[in-house]
Amino acid sequence: MANGAPRSSLAAWLVDPLAPTRSGAEENYRFTGPTSAWLAPVGLGAALLILSLVGWAIAPKTFFFSYLVGWTFCLTISLGALYFLFFHHLTKASWHIVVRRIAEHLAWGFPLLAVLGIPLFAFGMHDLYHWTHAELYTPGSAGYDPIIAGKRAYLNTPFFYARLVLYFGAWTYISHRLYTVSVRHDVRTDYDSPIKLRTVSAWGLPVTAITTAFASYDLLMSLAPHWFSTIFGVYFFAGAAFAVFAVLVLAAALLQKGGGLLTHAITAEHYHDLGKWMFGFTVFWAYIAFSQYMLYWYGGIPEETVWFRHRLEHGWGWHSAMLLILHFIVPFVVLLPRWTKRIVPVLSVMAVWFLVMHWFDLHWVAMPSMGEGTESGYVHGGFHWLNFTTWLGLAGIYFGAVIWRMHRHPLVPQNDPRLEESLAFENV
Amino acid sequence: MVARHTEKRPPFLWYVAFGISSLLAGVLVLLLAYKVWNGPGVWGNNQPVGWGWPIVNFVWWVGIGHAGTLISAILFLFRQRWRTSINRSAEAMTLFAVICALIWPTFHVGRVWVVYWMMPIPNQMEMWPQWKSPLMWDVFAVSSYFIVSLIFWYVGLVPDLATIRDRASGWRKKILGFFSLGWTGANRHWRNYEKAYLLLAALATPLVLSVHSVVSFDFAISILPGWHTTIFPPYFVAGAIFSGFAMVLTLLVIARKVYEIEDLITIDHLEKMNIIILLTGTIVGFAYITEFFMAWYSGVEYEQYAFLNRATGPYWWAYWIMMSCNLISPQLFWFKKLRRSIPVMFVLSIVVNIGMWFERFVITVTSLHRDFLPSSWGYFDATWVDVWMFIGSIGLFLTLFLIFLRFVPMVALAEGKGVTPAADPHFYHEEGDGHAAEVPYVQPAEEQHEGPHHVDEDDGDGEKE
Repeated sequence: MANGAPRSSLAAWLVDPLAPTRSGAEENYRFTGPTSAWLAPVGLGAALLILSLVGWAIAPKTFFFSYLVGWTFCLTISLGALYFLFFHHLTKASWHIVVRRIAEHLAWGFPLLAVLGIPLFAFGMHDLYHWTHAELYTPGSAGYDPIIAGKRAYLNTPFFYARLVLYFGAWTYISHRLYTVSVRHDVRTDYDSPIKLRTVSAWGLPVTAITTAFASYDLLMSLAPHWFSTIFGVYFFAGAAFAVFAVLVLAAALLQKGGGLLTHAITAEHYHDLGKWMFGFTVFWAYIAFSQYMLYWYGGIPEETVWFRHRLEHGWGWHSAMLLILHFIVPFVVLLPRWTKRIVPVLSVMAVWFLVMHWFDLHWVAMPSMGEGTESGYVHGGFHWLNFTTWLGLAGIYFGAVIWRMHRHPLVPQNDPRLEESLAFENV
Repeated sequence: MVARHTEKRPPFLWYVAFGISSLLAGVLVLLLAYKVWNGPGVWGNNQPVGWGWPIVNFVWWVGIGHAGTLISAILFLFRQRWRTSINRSAEAMTLFAVICALIWPTFHVGRVWVVYWMMPIPNQMEMWPQWKSPLMWDVFAVSSYFIVSLIFWYVGLVPDLATIRDRASGWRKKILGFFSLGWTGANRHWRNYEKAYLLLAALATPLVLSVHSVVSFDFAISILPGWHTTIFPPYFVAGAIFSGFAMVLTLLVIARKVYEIEDLITIDHLEKMNIIILLTGTIVGFAYITEFFMAWYSGVEYEQYAFLNRATGPYWWAYWIMMSCNLISPQLFWFKKLRRSIPVMFVLSIVVNIGMWFERFVITVTSLHRDFLPSSWGYFDATWVDVWMFIGSIGLFLTLFLIFLRFVPMVALAEGKGVTPAADPHFYHEEGDGHAAEVPYVQPAEEQHEGPHHVDEDDGDGEKE
């Protein structure tokens, strides 16, 4: 039954393309929370989004920018989960098998995110992307901009849509393979499954890497169409990887705390390694962010430094300083000792911290570009209530869907040939 | 098996190789003297292209050194056990490559006798170095890299030197006894040793990433089109790992054959290295595409021209050698058959290093020879001094590497023993009766070498010292 995947409706497919398989799972691996556990976040998220609709009427531009930040937040978590799975399969690592299913549930987020992205790209293009304004391209008109006009071959709406469809098509296909092959393996042992997963990961990794980079240029970099940076795709990836380990830690901790599940499956040893990854990607993010900033600061070429100038003036200086302190220095110091990574409550607090910082980072990247094309050319730093309602609203729906999927399938890939190795994992 | 190669007379091939490479190293020394006496004008550098082969060679050698630290430190942090049989020679390679690299920043200056001015030493002039120059950062990055790599390598060597000390006699025992620092392999030693090794690995990892990033800053902080780009730090690091692994592969393919250690450095090890070459090669290729796309997307005409000039200008051949060697050739490793074929990987590993040399050449020279002002466009031609100094540096590298092969265990003995199946505490348990009955019996490491004069049958020709 499980492999047949009777798709009751498109809506169900968007959230989970497989029929439930949890009945075959061991007690410890079964999500035992209330069946409606997913309803709470989804309901809350929907309520917040409806509230945000009011904001759309009042401040459309703020609404779209905030929505883009919240949406990208969820997108990067799905992308980060995809990378996690690629590396997991390609390196044949065994220790993270116990958390692999959580990453698989996160990776199957692309169809839902595509739907949630419709309001953004159907109605928000004009507000979000300055390059969509027609007057930029008419020579002789007051608004003519030769630089943007020179990029027209890339920055035009039909091609932009085509690229988005391509990215989402690739990500959906890859995550569909990784998700369904692994979940089906729980109920119908197919000895080829590990090889299939490896094959998909091998070609999926370069494809996802290229699409991620170009998606970052399209979604975030083109908010400021004059500006460019070759490292931007890596920066985007660093944020995704930074966030996904935090979600894995948090999900594991909540499952263990809430239902007492996965006891003896996910141990301090696994948390320790996840914590090391969190630490590693804090440093990696800082390395990439610093390289980008330092090289532009040092060169001081006007068309490049303007992007950072907008992020150091008009109240954004505080944001930039906080980004340095709270996104790098604090996690670096806190996660450096061994014990903080092995005590679950401490690590969970850091995971929440990471997610807030990841959102803050995206906020910092996107929001100052809101002034692009306006008379003054800048917006003031600070926060708008729409920033939070859209972010938490979208995250509520996104994580609600993850909980729904968790409730339908075993929480660990219980037929994995190396699961035992993973359960016995120790940091030597 | 490993210790023995330091004890017996080396194969005939060793003498031939050592003769040739030390001859080339001699050429390097002579040319260095020639250059210092006559000045940097003996090189082909000219006014637009002030940085020619010396910088290209410097970046190339530093890059090659990076694989050693990656294998010994990063793979150690990831607990990749396959690193054990290759880490020793890879680390030695790092040290020798960094020595070869350090020649260039020292000697490409016009007045080599005042290079100590780059050190922040209190002096009667009250003059200090300029901390905003990445060339200053280079001094500190590369020299601390050398020191940390040396310590890391030496710490790893101590237990192994003790092993060959115990097998030696006479004056050889005395020397080894001095260098093995009285290591007895006590439990307390091991506990501290493991902790120190882990800490060094954790320190060496950010160091290795920062060193090549700093090297990349030499270019990226400038405002030159083709140099000023933000992706350089991670892209240079990926390229360094790429070329370093290729060099490890070139050397190990020969060494494992000559020294008959195919059972220690197996085809699986080589395959894993090839996969890393494929991965980093693809990252490098991706960076090429990113740079090209961004040059167009930027709308900056200088940037656009710089990349057009690379592909179609007077140095088009260098650009296309780079592209085909680095972007296309590693893609052959997608095929398992090619990945596991020794001739293919040997040829490819050399191709990769040629390609990576040209990458640095393309970045350095093509960006310099044509930039903002057409009136200062030039062309760079290497002179015989450029060429022979580079060949001489390869000679120096091989000389040092051959000395290492002769006197030092090229595979980490203590670690290698730690990862044999018999060292796993669960090895005997699984059979239920406390004996490894159905598993092929592997002689426990301690029993293999019982005394200093233990000689195996096949070792008859080995001369004991």
